[in-house]
Amino acid sequence: MMADIALRARNITKYFHDPVTLQVLKNISFEVTSGEFVSIVGKSGCGKSTLLYVLSTMDTDYEGELEIQQERVTGRSLNDLARIRNESIGFVFQFHYLLPDFTCLKNVMIPALRLGRLSPAEIEEKAYEKLKLFGVEEQALKRANKLSGGQQQRVAIARALINDPAIIMGDEPTGNLDSKNTGLVFDLFQQLSKEYGQTLITVTHDEDFARRSDRTIVMADGEITSHGK
Amino acid sequence: MKLNVNTQIAITYLSTRKKQTLVASLGVMFGISMFIFMQSLMKGTNDYFEKSSFSSTPHIRLYNENKVANTHLMDNAIKDASVKILANPKQLKQNLGMTNPYGIINLLRKFPEVAFITPQVTANVIYTSGNVQVTGNIAGVSIVEEDKMFDVQQNMISGDFHDLDKVNNGILIGKGIADKLSLHTGDNITVRSGEGNDMTMRIVGIYATGMKTVDDTRSYANIVQAQNIMGKDRSYVTDIKINLKDYNQAYTVARRMEVITGYKAEDWVQANEQLKTAFKIRAIILNSVIGVILLVAGFGIYNILNMTIYEKMKEIAILKAQGFSGRAVTSIFLQQAIYIGLMGGTIGLLLGFLLSFGLSRVYIGSSTSMGSLKYFPMSFYFPHYLEAICFGVLTTFAAGFFPARKAAKVDPVTIIRG
Ligand SMILES: Nc1ncnc2c1ncn2[C@@H]1O[C@H](COP(=O)(O)OP(=O)(O)O)[C@@H](O)[C@H]1O
Ligand SMILES: [Mg+2]
Repeated sequence: MMADIALRARNITKYFHDPVTLQVLKNISFEVTSGEFVSIVGKSGCGKSTLLYVLSTMDTDYEGELEIQQERVTGRSLNDLARIRNESIGFVFQFHYLLPDFTCLKNVMIPALRLGRLSPAEIEEKAYEKLKLFGVEEQALKRANKLSGGQQQRVAIARALINDPAIIMGDEPTGNLDSKNTGLVFDLFQQLSKEYGQTLITVTHDEDFARRSDRTIVMADGEITSHGK
Repeated sequence: MKLNVNTQIAITYLSTRKKQTLVASLGVMFGISMFIFMQSLMKGTNDYFEKSSFSSTPHIRLYNENKVANTHLMDNAIKDASVKILANPKQLKQNLGMTNPYGIINLLRKFPEVAFITPQVTANVIYTSGNVQVTGNIAGVSIVEEDKMFDVQQNMISGDFHDLDKVNNGILIGKGIADKLSLHTGDNITVRSGEGNDMTMRIVGIYATGMKTVDDTRSYANIVQAQNIMGKDRSYVTDIKINLKDYNQAYTVARRMEVITGYKAEDWVQANEQLKTAFKIRAIILNSVIGVILLVAGFGIYNILNMTIYEKMKEIAILKAQGFSGRAVTSIFLQQAIYIGLMGGTIGLLLGFLLSFGLSRVYIGSSTSMGSLKYFPMSFYFPHYLEAICFGVLTTFAAGFFPARKAAKVDPVTIIRG
């Protein structure tokens, strides 16, 4: 049986023009099937983050074509893309990036409140569950900027999961975590992909993390050198 | 709380920056309260002057206008080619009385707009007491009707105006005349008209309108008495005074009356030209002051939002990464502007009302020279409050719009990449 395609990139090419014209992404084409747990590895500066921003629909300044959930997203309006991100994509940044004026709980709730599919009470309940998954439920009512870096990172991951997105993308999501918590996050990611069929695409420097995922895509100098199949 | 998420975020941002929010609201509050306060004061003052002008001027005055003699009939036909022998045309000595005044009164009474109509005889006179003389004019009226029209009673400072109808040769004089001639109720005064002879009259009362030009010159007598002073018969009437149900119609009704009667009909606006000009100038000054205040308040809001957006650049990027559209981000920041406006505006409305109310309680004296004005004339006019709200909303909206749009345009990738 052919599994559904969750994400398809065709000939993605991107240039930076400042300070000098530089081709960061060179004809990148690949597919990720639904429920797959993919790692992207490569030397620093090879274009992993840049690629992930394109895949996340945040960066629209590229050549080539991108499909998410078998829907072409290239060329769609910014409002459409915002809705797609809200509904179908959970993004974990390299640095935690929470909203410092809000509590951790609120931070996790906000994307769901934006989506508006559940009642605020249900959302709060669900957000609390997510925090529990990562062992930061004690911090739920603290302001986000009062937490340690590792705790913030775990809250940020909980936030990415709140809308049960079809695709979860992470730019070194475990970069700030100790080995115990890295293990916890990895196990959870694996569970999401195996049990709930969610697709995971994570950029990582952690060789162990990459090796244990379903597939590792290797990048070098803006190109994919191995699809890991 | 079941608030929209944009609203929740907007409120959180406002409440984590309490000081700036407060300062920006104070700006709006100041603008709105000044708007209300000054509008109330201006309208109150204008209303007072308008009302007090009606205490001596009828809505329409119909009279026989002196015309310049048309001695140069040839000019009409051949213009400057004519040779003028009589060089200086003089005012024609005319009978200032109207023809068939009571017929005209009956005719005008049929106008549906007319509320009140009364004849009057006016003559220029010289008042004498001892060897002091004062020039002025006497109005021969039916004092009861005059009271209905102009509320003579409220201006009385001594005597009883009803005595005009009872006392033979009675006269009611202005406070200015009484002061200059040092006369009191019950004293005698000599009145001399241009046409008639000296007549000694008895002062039955003294009044003060607060308008110096009136109080220093005008006296009232029974209409028959005035006709006698001038040596005229009972049908001699120089003015017909008309009040309308709605004084704003005075101009159009006056024009129609001119056409029908052939006499000059002067409406109260013409009679009080300088008053209207003063109103206009005051309105311009007031509006510029308010405009500047609101502009400053607007800049306050613009400033705080711009600062917030600059500081929250990263957070805007995060929100966008999580699926907040440009429109949602605009809404978050525009709402902040609107809440600042609402907060400042509501307090401003209240403060404006309280200031106006406070001033309306300030006693500014009861001296008769002020007429009936005892307290600051403030008007509590509901549309002013609506206008203030509109201006407040408009200002905050305009001030919030540009920063909010800037926030909407933040490119998340540029920010997140660093
Ligand atoms: N805004 C930018 N302008 C110009 N060059 C950039 C910009 N962002 C990244 N780059 C360059 O693009 C290349 C890829 O960067 P990035 O995708 O961050 O690499 P990685 O995440 O694999 O470390 C690097 O050489 C980096 O210097
Ligand atoms: Mg990177």
